[in-house]
Amino acid sequence: MPESEALHASHRLEYPYSRSVGPVIGAFLTGLREGRLLGVRGAGGSVIVPPTEYDPTTGGDTGEMVEVGPGGVVESWAWVSHPLPKHPLPSPFAWALIRLDGADTALLHAVDSGGPDQLASGDRVTVRFRPAAERIGAMADIESFVPQGGAPR
Amino acid sequence: MAERCAVVGVGQTHHKAKREDVSIAGLVREAAKMALADADLTWTDIDAVVIGKAPDMFEGNMMPELYLAPALGAVGKPMFRVHTAGSVGGSTALVAAHLISSGIHRRVLTVAYEKQSDSDAMWALSVPQPFAAPLLAGAGGYFAPHIRAYMRRSGAPEYIGRMVAVKDRLNALRNPYAHLHLADIDMKMVEDSMMLWDPLRYLEACPSSDGAAAMVLSSEDAVSGHYPPAWVHGTAMRSEPTMFAGRDQVNPRAGRDCSADVYGQAGITNPREQIDVAEVYVPFSWYEPMWLENLGFCDLGDGWKLTEAGATAFDGDIPWNTSGGVLSSNPIGASGMLRFLEVAMQVRGQAGEHQIDGAKVALGQAYGGGSQFFSMWVVGSEKP
Repeated sequence: MPESEALHASHRLEYPYSRSVGPVIGAFLTGLREGRLLGVRGAGGSVIVPPTEYDPTTGGDTGEMVEVGPGGVVESWAWVSHPLPKHPLPSPFAWALIRLDGADTALLHAVDSGGPDQLASGDRVTVRFRPAAERIGAMADIESFVPQGGAPR
Repeated sequence: MAERCAVVGVGQTHHKAKREDVSIAGLVREAAKMALADADLTWTDIDAVVIGKAPDMFEGNMMPELYLAPALGAVGKPMFRVHTAGSVGGSTALVAAHLISSGIHRRVLTVAYEKQSDSDAMWALSVPQPFAAPLLAGAGGYFAPHIRAYMRRSGAPEYIGRMVAVKDRLNALRNPYAHLHLADIDMKMVEDSMMLWDPLRYLEACPSSDGAAAMVLSSEDAVSGHYPPAWVHGTAMRSEPTMFAGRDQVNPRAGRDCSADVYGQAGITNPREQIDVAEVYVPFSWYEPMWLENLGFCDLGDGWKLTEAGATAFDGDIPWNTSGGVLSSNPIGASGMLRFLEVAMQVRGQAGEHQIDGAKVALGQAYGGGSQFFSMWVVGSEKP
């Protein structure tokens, strides 16, 4: 049989979506826009950040919103030596699990420490929000976390 | 011998165009909590959760069951996702019923939903593909030619579709949970509405709704709740391809086989005589006469005559879609379950203003895809 070329066509699929986020996630995102970090009181009194609508272990309703941070402790981290265009920072940074002051769970975000030798689990960091005019109510309203006081180790 | 299975709790949201006050998790939880309350149970009483919705592309939320476990009290329990297009709410209830009848679980929560306001679902149904003719029609455009074919075959007059559109919206006025409450609905209003897909006018088509439905199913030894149980007398599901040479799109074989199966289990030989009330998936008006024939309520070609004679009206001898049906509320993934749920409410005697007095045996039917997935159950007030 003679060889034939396989048919090719570009196929771009796009749909517009919207989200109703509900009262709990909505309060968290609104807090980000206002430059505040909010968690939610879970069953047994623990504070869950980012907040969940329902308790992840019992499935019960979660309670009041609780302000946390702006500082916290790095629980663990991984260094990104070559950031990609969609990463939150253009220069090398750490993805870190950060337990904010007043929270019982850790939040995943970027830490701009300057270098992997300038970050250790247990370090204190603090939030760095984008300027108020640029905040839209999304996780990216947090530009990154920075070592507390901003001083290198 | 299979274990007996009963519906002991039902719940649903108020179906609306937009539920912007809740997330998807909040929407499903609303229906689930209502079903638990009706069953007089709590989350901890439930052994497993079965959830269904229509294609993920509708909300752009891939495999939503992965994050809905806490919202449905499913943490630490088995949770199953079902997907059979528009019939999914029905087949989801069937999977849940089979977990009871197989003796695996004693109490199963089953939930189905759609949040159409999160997307533009109609176009997500007709994705253009390379090297294929674009459909670009939405569901109505797909079904309209089949309706024309039915009209030609049966000789049904044009106004039959409008009669169904009016009848189901009148029923919806009795149902506080229905999306559409059109107090002034009449033949003229339907006739004056815009032609969408010939012969279907705007008011002969279902709305786009946000909504959820939930039921608690139970084994015989675990029956609970504020109303008598609805006993499951038969369950059936059939499928066939969307297109193949010789396929009867007007009267699909999968539907006929499915009803024969479920009637056989329930001991039904004459549906019109033995079934007191039916909830049948009618998203476009003409599907009532078409399904009357497909479901064997009459001879071929006679479906429209039953509609015309008022047999399917609220005060007819075989009331169809007492809830207002899909024509009055269409949270797609939940729409099939709402059919199953409404007939459970009827035989439990809890349907309020839309209760058919003395309903003892009832049929719930859902269809999906290109009239290619069918799910049905027969429920009764007496044990099977």
